[in-house]
Amino acid sequence: MTILAGGIMIAFAAIAAGIGNALLFSKYLEGIARQPEAQGKLFGQAMIAVGLVEALPIIAIAFGILVLFGIVG
Amino acid sequence: MEITPKLTFLGMTFDLTVMIGTTIAALLVIILVFFLTRKLTMRPTGKQNIMEMIVDFIRGITNMMLEDKQAAKYLSFAITTFLFILVANMLGVIVMINSHGAVPAFGLTGDAEVSWFKSPTSDINVTVALAFAISLYAHFAGIRKNPRGYVAHYFKPYWPMFPLHIIDELAKPTTHAARLWANIFAGEVLITILVSGAPYLTALPLFAWLGFSIFVGCIQAYIFTVLAIVYISQQIASDH
Repeated sequence: MTILAGGIMIAFAAIAAGIGNALLFSKYLEGIARQPEAQGKLFGQAMIAVGLVEALPIIAIAFGILVLFGIVG
Repeated sequence: MEITPKLTFLGMTFDLTVMIGTTIAALLVIILVFFLTRKLTMRPTGKQNIMEMIVDFIRGITNMMLEDKQAAKYLSFAITTFLFILVANMLGVIVMINSHGAVPAFGLTGDAEVSWFKSPTSDINVTVALAFAISLYAHFAGIRKNPRGYVAHYFKPYWPMFPLHIIDELAKPTTHAARLWANIFAGEVLITILVSGAPYLTALPLFAWLGFSIFVGCIQAYIFTVLAIVYISQQIASDH
């Protein structure tokens, strides 16, 4: 049962991270397409945003690992 | 999942792996900065260029978030935070020491994987301590700057918002700590799993993941510093 719980946590975190990153980078590419000269500036900002977006799924994955190995729950 | 050797002193439990890791990270930062700042000249060459690049990079963060006078004040704090977390994140990517079996001297019994050296930031106690200290300092700076304004901001724009402000202030250090810990912890667990797998199957994913771990470590050190400066700037920002 704990293996199932951990697996579900990690799977949903991966789905959410995929959607979040896809939205972010689609907007980033749109921005480059409109203003190619802004690429350098946008890249840095996009990377910061990725770090912020990735945080919540990676927290879910970390707790999923803890559940999976039977340390929590 | 590995367990860590622990030491009990005066009723408190100390994690040896974390203590070794933080000490080595701090020493590495001191040695690095000491050697990069010897023989400073007006026209920078070689190693001085590297240090100036780091300082300029962090100055970009502080100038973005704070006013000029305060940006200069918090620059050294931001550089220290960034370098310490960056080095601490990199430690576990470069060296990880695990041993197998019981260690009776440290109260570890049974057949378990014992971790002796890893990134100190992959332990939640370290990141919570860092984030909590920064949060405390931010509140202290806010109270010192404007005590009446500090109390009043909890009731803005109107008093029913008070519980939300409390939740906000509690959530800031929690997510600040959990963000750094979870990234490094998940990375190290995956490295451990890949190392212990069949070499001809996991060698390529391991190399890819090591590269990604270095990237994640740099990004998270940067984000931790940015957020620390943002949380401080929210408290000390003057209303125009």
